[in-house]
Amino acid sequence: MIEVKDITKRFGRKKILNGVSFTANKGEITCLIGINGVGKTTILNAIMNLTPINRGEILIDGEKIRKESYERITFIPDAITMLPSMKISDAMQFMADFYQSWNQKRADEMIEFFKLDKNDRLSTLSKGNSAKVNMLLGLALDVDYLLMDEPFSGIDIFSREQIADVFTSHLVENRSVIITTHEISDIEHLIDKAVLLNDGVVLREFNAEEVRENEGKSIIDVMREVYQP
Amino acid sequence: MKNYLKLTNFELSRFFKLYVVLIGLTLVMQTVGIIWMSNTYMGSVEGLLLEGNTAELIKMNLGTFSFSTLTTSLLFSGPIIICIASLLIYVFLIWYRDWFGKNTFVYRLFMLPTARMNLFFAKATSIFLMVLGLVSLQLVFILIESQIAKLIVPTTYMESQNLNQIINGFDYMRVLYPTTLIEFLINYGIGFMAVFVIFTGILFERSFRLKGILFGILFAGISLFVFISPILLQVTILEGFFYPVELFILMVITGLIVIAGSVWISNYLLNKKIRV
Repeated sequence: MIEVKDITKRFGRKKILNGVSFTANKGEITCLIGINGVGKTTILNAIMNLTPINRGEILIDGEKIRKESYERITFIPDAITMLPSMKISDAMQFMADFYQSWNQKRADEMIEFFKLDKNDRLSTLSKGNSAKVNMLLGLALDVDYLLMDEPFSGIDIFSREQIADVFTSHLVENRSVIITTHEISDIEHLIDKAVLLNDGVVLREFNAEEVRENEGKSIIDVMREVYQP
Repeated sequence: MKNYLKLTNFELSRFFKLYVVLIGLTLVMQTVGIIWMSNTYMGSVEGLLLEGNTAELIKMNLGTFSFSTLTTSLLFSGPIIICIASLLIYVFLIWYRDWFGKNTFVYRLFMLPTARMNLFFAKATSIFLMVLGLVSLQLVFILIESQIAKLIVPTTYMESQNLNQIINGFDYMRVLYPTTLIEFLINYGIGFMAVFVIFTGILFERSFRLKGILFGILFAGISLFVFISPILLQVTILEGFFYPVELFILMVITGLIVIAGSVWISNYLLNKKIRV
């Protein structure tokens, strides 16, 4: 379980996060929702210790993040994080060199799934294919937790569908996912928990399935209630 | 340790193309220089011979041709200066390119399942190996170039010089080519310490941005002060109290303090303060 406890983050005088708390349970897909600039990416960066927080605590299975944790949790940012001069095969080799949790079989499977050519250089890839490679590099790790930042951002509908298919495949099965996206409709039916953010605070955290069953509302309905009362 | 070696290898391979260009540039410019200068000298010699001068007279008027003549020319020192400048710039670039490249590679580096200090040490080791590599290759180039000069200039007009004499005749090169182990440790130790301090300064800037520049400059100032404090004491308060060997030991200690401080602060910044 990932526990985000009362975290505060300031950039200069501006408070981006103000006492944000939520949990992401194993085997669930948790979606962080909010307009641009509410701190969704900052939360993911903070979980990965890529940005320091001013207050609060983040625990992964009850422990603070340390170097060994990166074999159990991975972050797929909204842009590819490998050198542009690398071929896809080089990027895969880099991951294989450093991560014990790298699963080459799964990586090859995803190359087939996304119809990518290993010999393509990252600098020559379309935005859609870059997003797919980005997903591949994260999902081919045998980790318990996946953080994804806007995986559908700026890519065409067909690539989006392919990436959305990943969520219903065995590639994500039994893993915890924390995702930020503006394209809720693509994966709404897959989300287990939604965390609605605004102005650096959690406005509402709810179990999507319960709201669907008990109140007959979709996540988008709840978003309308919260953001446009 | 394995990850540190992998990272060092990775860092070296990232600089490899530019490194080959620097090596090629040095070899080509210096070879062109030695051929051009040798031919110019021989042109003058032949002119004087045609006028009926004897070899002895020519040597008296024109002087003998020595390799040291080349080392003072821009064709020889130019590529060395370019290499030094490139490596100095690279000390900064080796960190900043990971933040400002087309893809933010620092995300990946910081998410590797290894101590972040391995990145610091791998980058420092790469710089050190690149410097040593260039310095060693320059020695080989000098040997090749002096052989080329011997092919063009007859031994009658050639001043015989061995490698040591060539290096000693070249002021700033003496820093790069120490003649004793102690001198090597001092020169390269100070260089290594300076790289550590600059790295810490960069990490201050990457952690606190604008304020970090001030912290970095302050840290560099304090480091310099600590390092030279034995000399300051010697020339001010203590007025020549220490024997040279004591002063040397004290400076080794202050140097180690600066390196230890730099490593400790960098470790703290990389784990607690840095942001992507």
